[in-house]
Amino acid sequence: MRVSFFITCLGDIFYANAGKSAVELLERLGCEVDFPPTQTCCGQPAYNSGYHKETLEVAKHMVEVFEHADYVVGISGSCVYMIHEYVHLFEDGSNWQKRAKALKRKTYELTQFIVDVLGIEDVGASYHGTATYHTSCHMTRLLGVKEAPFRLLENVKGLRLIDLPNRNDCCGFGGTFSVKMASISEQMVDEKVQHIEETEADLLLGADGSCLMNIGGRITRQGKPIEVKHIAEILNSRGEE
Amino acid sequence: MKGSIMNRDRFLTNIRTKIGGLTASQPVEKPVWTVSPQKKVLKDYTPDQLVEVLEEQCQHIHTDFFRTSSNSLEKTLDEVLNHYGAKSVIYSNDERFVSYQLNPYFESSLSTGREIYRWNEKDKETSISFAEKADVGLTFSDMTLAESGTIVLFNKKGQGRSVSLLPRDYIAIVPKSTIVPRMTQATSYVQEMVDNGEDIASCINFITGPSNSADIEMKLVVGVHGPIRAAYIIVDDK
Amino acid sequence: MPMHIGEKDFRKRVSKGISDDYMRGAVRSAQERLQNRRAAAAEELGDWEEWRTLGQQIRSHTIEHLDYYLHQLSDKVAELGGHVFFAETGEEANEYIKQVIQKKNAKKIAKSKSMVTEEISMNAALEEIGCEVIETDLGEYILQIDDHDPPSHIVAPALHKNKEQIRDVFKERLNYKKTEHPEELALFAREKLREEFLAADVGITGCNFAVAESGSFALVTNEGNARMVTALPNTQITVMGMERIVPGWEELDIVVSLLTRAAVGQKLTSYITALTGPKQAEEADGPEEFHLVIVDNGRSKILGTEFQEALHCIRCAACINVCPVYRHVGGHAYGSIYPGPIGAVLSPLLSDYDEYKELPYASSLCGACTEVCPVKIPLHEQLIMHRRKIVEDEKKSTLAERVAMRGFEQIVHSANLYRTATKMAPFLTTPFAKNNRITKGPGPLRNWTDIRDLPQPANERFRDWFKKRNKQGGAI
Ligand code: SF4
Repeated sequence: MRVSFFITCLGDIFYANAGKSAVELLERLGCEVDFPPTQTCCGQPAYNSGYHKETLEVAKHMVEVFEHADYVVGISGSCVYMIHEYVHLFEDGSNWQKRAKALKRKTYELTQFIVDVLGIEDVGASYHGTATYHTSCHMTRLLGVKEAPFRLLENVKGLRLIDLPNRNDCCGFGGTFSVKMASISEQMVDEKVQHIEETEADLLLGADGSCLMNIGGRITRQGKPIEVKHIAEILNSRGEE
Repeated sequence: MKGSIMNRDRFLTNIRTKIGGLTASQPVEKPVWTVSPQKKVLKDYTPDQLVEVLEEQCQHIHTDFFRTSSNSLEKTLDEVLNHYGAKSVIYSNDERFVSYQLNPYFESSLSTGREIYRWNEKDKETSISFAEKADVGLTFSDMTLAESGTIVLFNKKGQGRSVSLLPRDYIAIVPKSTIVPRMTQATSYVQEMVDNGEDIASCINFITGPSNSADIEMKLVVGVHGPIRAAYIIVDDK
Repeated sequence: MPMHIGEKDFRKRVSKGISDDYMRGAVRSAQERLQNRRAAAAEELGDWEEWRTLGQQIRSHTIEHLDYYLHQLSDKVAELGGHVFFAETGEEANEYIKQVIQKKNAKKIAKSKSMVTEEISMNAALEEIGCEVIETDLGEYILQIDDHDPPSHIVAPALHKNKEQIRDVFKERLNYKKTEHPEELALFAREKLREEFLAADVGITGCNFAVAESGSFALVTNEGNARMVTALPNTQITVMGMERIVPGWEELDIVVSLLTRAAVGQKLTSYITALTGPKQAEEADGPEEFHLVIVDNGRSKILGTEFQEALHCIRCAACINVCPVYRHVGGHAYGSIYPGPIGAVLSPLLSDYDEYKELPYASSLCGACTEVCPVKIPLHEQLIMHRRKIVEDEKKSTLAERVAMRGFEQIVHSANLYRTATKMAPFLTTPFAKNNRITKGPGPLRNWTDIRDLPQPANERFRDWFKKRNKQGGAI
């Protein structure tokens, strides 16, 4: 199966490790992975801020970049959802919209792709530790991927997964919300960190770099001894820790 | 006497231009909705199963539940009234009190020191002032919704609005045949009357247990403006 | 603006909310209860999604043909002997209500809960002509007694107060002598308000839903105050927002079932009262005279726009009860009697962006609201539409943001520029980094790093790794 990998901008700059793990994992599961180097950010920051003309340009570019892919697999539920949203940016019935629809049909978030397309729930990973998992809002509510990450994590040998209380609550990232409404965002992320601490897990996992950057940034600021990792890193582990 | 309608044309023309609506003379066809989950609720339940659902629901709505036969209705009612310490009772002017032979009981109550008053739609003042001080308001249910534990009263004529509202406690006598699955059956019944051009009651009350409020810290307090306690007496049909 | 409440400045309102520990405690526990009850009620049905679909279909059909259904409703009401007044503005509505009251020479008005009368400041208008208006919903009553403290929630208006605060208000204003137990507080209010109901000349109600085909109104309550208000006074005035209507009784069934479950997790509330016209000749109780006031007050501006779905709202507050922003800032921070997600969508529409420009941004777009809305209003998408409008149509965004977004588009659009920019990231941020973390970011990063650390961008980007690896020939 040929997969075109979508790293997302935060992944490219801050979470290269998550990207590497995802690529290795996909290859291990039998996929042939390529990386279209002209890919950029998905445009979500502009879209959610109301700059839809600007987003449209980005969308066109991304539609072209991935036009020839069989599958597009990204490591952020939120960014994958943004690609799905392109459809609504273009005029109804236009050729661009048709192309955006085609892209939507073949674009998946990593865990969703593994479970729904590859049909695999046990990726053969092992990792010794106690973790809790943050369900990102866009991935669960908008993209509708609720179960896949849990299916996969439950099968990781040695991993003890603890339920995160109030797991459906937003972490307070929200793109520009995190800086525009910083004081509210702070309350939200504090509440999230508090719930994470209640689990007494030493590792926080998530499938979205933006949430992890937010929560992780708050955790280190408060000097809490909790490690933060992208789910791909654990699924690619072979018991080295 | 027909009432007046003021400012309508200007108001509706504005709306029409905004939504690109039809002209006022053209009737709108109500579409057939693609789903109807309401019709599946408690579908095919037997009358006895519906009674069970109702009984269970009464626990959730803080309502006392009693079941009796038509022959023992008088006895059960007496027990419930005693239990509630009812010294004064107002009941609606409803034929069914006669057909269930409760009149002799009401008459004999006087000698036991219990004051009983039948709602008199021709005497508003006395009726309301009695209801306002009464310990118990007593009515028959016109329709009963098992799912929600609801008494439906078509308040008109002798079925006064205040009987089930002003007294301290409320007791509904529920003939088993009045029990239907849910609100859907009651609203269809009304809809049918509307479709046939019949008048519907000026006030239709759906009463589910005693009055309550959660306005203080979202904690449920039973008995705010309406009755503080409620009881349903399910009775086999006469 | 009558809809507006509290301090003018949004930021001040937010900080006030965040620092009010009492309020936050009260809101947190209220949200938790209401959320759980709603979720349990939805789950119990088993096919909640189907119910929502039906609710959405009913609401969107009705609003698409609002003119027709309002016409039918008014015809019916008049046929039954009621009077109907269409009011384009709040002032028009208040004028009419004043006239009715003056004609009756009425002094004492008992009122049950109604958001639209809050919206048009009806109480103040009636007090001006010497009337005493008594709020009879327990929550509203508490607020009225407390110097007209504004409501902070559309279903539970006094949700921001805890029981000790309520006890103190009663003590100070009404000479209350008992404890803070809700039962005792409620019993006290019951006794106080009983007298008022019996003495009131006019009853004023809101309207949860009007039924066009029969000219009926449904009032959904738990306390029974709306029943009192419509059974005892001789004159009844019902004030409704023009969108609160359904075609027939079968539709009433659905919207009521959705409302009670979504709002409080009840299958039905204690009282659903459906009123049709004034009382009939052979009835003792009920109003002799009935007036219906249908209020636009900015709603028609929304029709035919991308925000039309906001008019589908059935005011259940489910979106408010799950909103994390509301949880932390409280209802008053929104500066509108309509708080939470629906408030953030509706307030700028009913008023304007000058007054409420921040509200569409007071959301992390987490979508919790959209997920619970019983009539499937895409609330978070409506907030994005507001942002688009503010930026592209109203041109009200800041210059800095416009420049940044323009730059963003150019960088992102050109793959080369994008590659350069991502490559530059580590060099630009290195001077600010310590232990691979940036704790005091420069310029626009400041707002981020005031609260949290930023990871130091890796020297080797993902794309560099991938390229290198491919050169070396496949997997490492
Ligand atoms: S927008 Fe939806 S969830 Fe919010 S109050 Fe209205 S109907 Fe309820």
